[in-house]
Amino acid sequence: MKRLLRILLRYGAAALIVAASTLAAEAFYRVTHSGRLSSIFLIGVLVTAFVLGSGPSLFATGLAFLVYMFLVDPRYELTFGSADDFNTLFVFLAVAILTSSLTGRVRDEAARAIARSRATAALLEATADFAAALDEAYIRARLSHHLAAAARGEAVVLDADGRLATEGKQVSQDLGAAAAALAQAGPSNQAYVPVVVEGWSLRVLQADDAVFGVAAWRAAGPKAFRDEDRALVEVLADTGAAAIARARLARAKSEAETLARTQALRDALLSSISHDLRTPLAAIVASSSSLQEFGADFPPEVRRDLAATIQEEAERLNIYVGNLLSMTKLEGGALNVQKIAFNMGEVLTRATLRQEKLHRLRVASRTAPGAPEVLGDPILLEQALSNVLENALRYSPADTGVKLTAEGDGGEAVIRIADEGPGVADADLDRIFEKFYRATNAPRSGTGLGLSIARGLVEGMGGSVEARNRPYPAHGLIVTFRLPVALQDSEEEQNRERA
Amino acid sequence: MTESLSRLLLVDDEPQIVRALTPALSAAGYAVEAAETGEAAITALASEPFELVILDLGLPDMDGKAVISRVREWSEIPIIVLSARDLESEKIAALDLGADDFVNKPVGVGELLARIRACLRGRERRFNAQPRFRAGDLEINFPARRVAIQGEEIRLTPREYDLLRTLARYAGRVVTHKQVISAVWGPIAQVDAQFVRVLVGQLRQKLEAEPSSPRIVLTEPGIGYRLATDEEP
Repeated sequence: MKRLLRILLRYGAAALIVAASTLAAEAFYRVTHSGRLSSIFLIGVLVTAFVLGSGPSLFATGLAFLVYMFLVDPRYELTFGSADDFNTLFVFLAVAILTSSLTGRVRDEAARAIARSRATAALLEATADFAAALDEAYIRARLSHHLAAAARGEAVVLDADGRLATEGKQVSQDLGAAAAALAQAGPSNQAYVPVVVEGWSLRVLQADDAVFGVAAWRAAGPKAFRDEDRALVEVLADTGAAAIARARLARAKSEAETLARTQALRDALLSSISHDLRTPLAAIVASSSSLQEFGADFPPEVRRDLAATIQEEAERLNIYVGNLLSMTKLEGGALNVQKIAFNMGEVLTRATLRQEKLHRLRVASRTAPGAPEVLGDPILLEQALSNVLENALRYSPADTGVKLTAEGDGGEAVIRIADEGPGVADADLDRIFEKFYRATNAPRSGTGLGLSIARGLVEGMGGSVEARNRPYPAHGLIVTFRLPVALQDSEEEQNRERA
Repeated sequence: MTESLSRLLLVDDEPQIVRALTPALSAAGYAVEAAETGEAAITALASEPFELVILDLGLPDMDGKAVISRVREWSEIPIIVLSARDLESEKIAALDLGADDFVNKPVGVGELLARIRACLRGRERRFNAQPRFRAGDLEINFPARRVAIQGEEIRLTPREYDLLRTLARYAGRVVTHKQVISAVWGPIAQVDAQFVRVLVGQLRQKLEAEPSSPRIVLTEPGIGYRLATDEEP
């Protein structure tokens, strides 16, 4: 109905223009008595062709020609036959056809340009949307949004089983079944045979040889959807499929990387176990088998030395096992940390004596002037200290000592372990506390577990550990522990009451 | 320390290992020198005479395998690898580079001393060009290419003989698959280890009293084969 009315309106307008031309021509004739009125009608035809298109302009041509013939000599009579008449008719026709087709072409071109720019804008917006996303669900949601906009209606994205992959929409069972069938058929050359179910157009979301689901869209009205829109919607669907493929690839890649990292950690752990556990075991087996085979031949001091080695190495083994257990507990979050107030000095002394004995060298000078009581777990602190001391002694040159100081600093207890070893590259200072990380200049074999466990234990007690190089010209590493100080008695009681 | 003692170089960066091994090695009649790093070991070997090297693979300055290949550039000194790494690939790599034996940590001094003796004997055999080889029931006459078990002559194919000759030359020490292939099929041959297994199986059929539980040609799983000597650790 609307369409018919629009057509009638356009022809009416053409008739009006011809009528206006007639009035102008009649006025011109009355004033000048000139018979050359064709140009006035020509202007009318030109205007009609330009404004209203080919059909109305042809109508106007016929009408204008008749009126013109009626007006010119002999006036008010329709007589044909002169060459001029045909000339006029041809000029009218040529002007009407050429002008209307030219303006029609220009108008079509303009409409296409608008559609193209709309498509480009929609594609740009969609690709920008997809490019930023690695989450498949998000990409599907955005895809259905862009498809709906491009289709001037609604759109959904279904997974390969025909289930809705975008939330908040309802689709019929038939559509789901059709989508599942389409997806199951696998990747295909789906170019020019659109599948349509209940007004929904379907397109498989595919990239390379994989099918990710089905996109379905439906225009709001039958006239609203055009061929340019179809092309745009299909390109959008393919872009979305490519984005989903990329998201899946990225996820597979990150999973593979995680797996490789886990594998590397496991390898490092295994080589750590085989080295750190077998070295003391090797010393124990060698010492004890030596005693068995040659015990009688050895002088007493050699026998004592071998026996001492057995005991020391067994203790070292015990420390390693403790470290491995702590690591497992730290990883599993099963570390049980006591919170008791204890005297830091005793713990320092125990850890130091033990390490000195194991290394059979170097007295670590320890000063603890008025060290405050610490709140935490003395056993874990001793283990953490042992690990750092072990490290310091290991990297110290033969004729130097490790210096250990403990003091109160405001609300914290601070323990510093300073050695005169080679230090660590600044970039590595924080990484040396990472599990299995060994500084690039580490000259001795080791596993890279000790410091990471030390940090884990101290942090478990609510403290912190950091390392820095001694300022030039001194060289060596200073590892600093910061631990919470036990509260004053009254505060502690209040605290307990609150707890 | 007298001049007649065999001198051993013990290369290990863990002082407790050196401490634990030295007394027994000394008691067994060797003069032990220790080196903590690969560089120190190479320097010591270049400047002083040693009879044998006991080498750890995990050294602070370089991998022990690098020490083996560096030393093998100019010296045929017996090298026993003593390592906590028990990866087969590590063992094969060390042996292929020219190590004489591979001993896993931990090891009792009895076994270590036996391996040292086997190594030194093998070396003596290789360098003093003995025309005859004898170990247990097995007897090989190299110039005549004759093989006998308990005095009874055994007929071997040329490849079987080449295999046996190679194992006998390195008796007591592991010969890797790669080394067997090189000795039997030639240094550039591309032969699957499966062929070596088949050949070893044929040789066992002829030599062993019970081929399913061999006592002469022993398997080092995943690495290679070893010919048993009179003294088995």
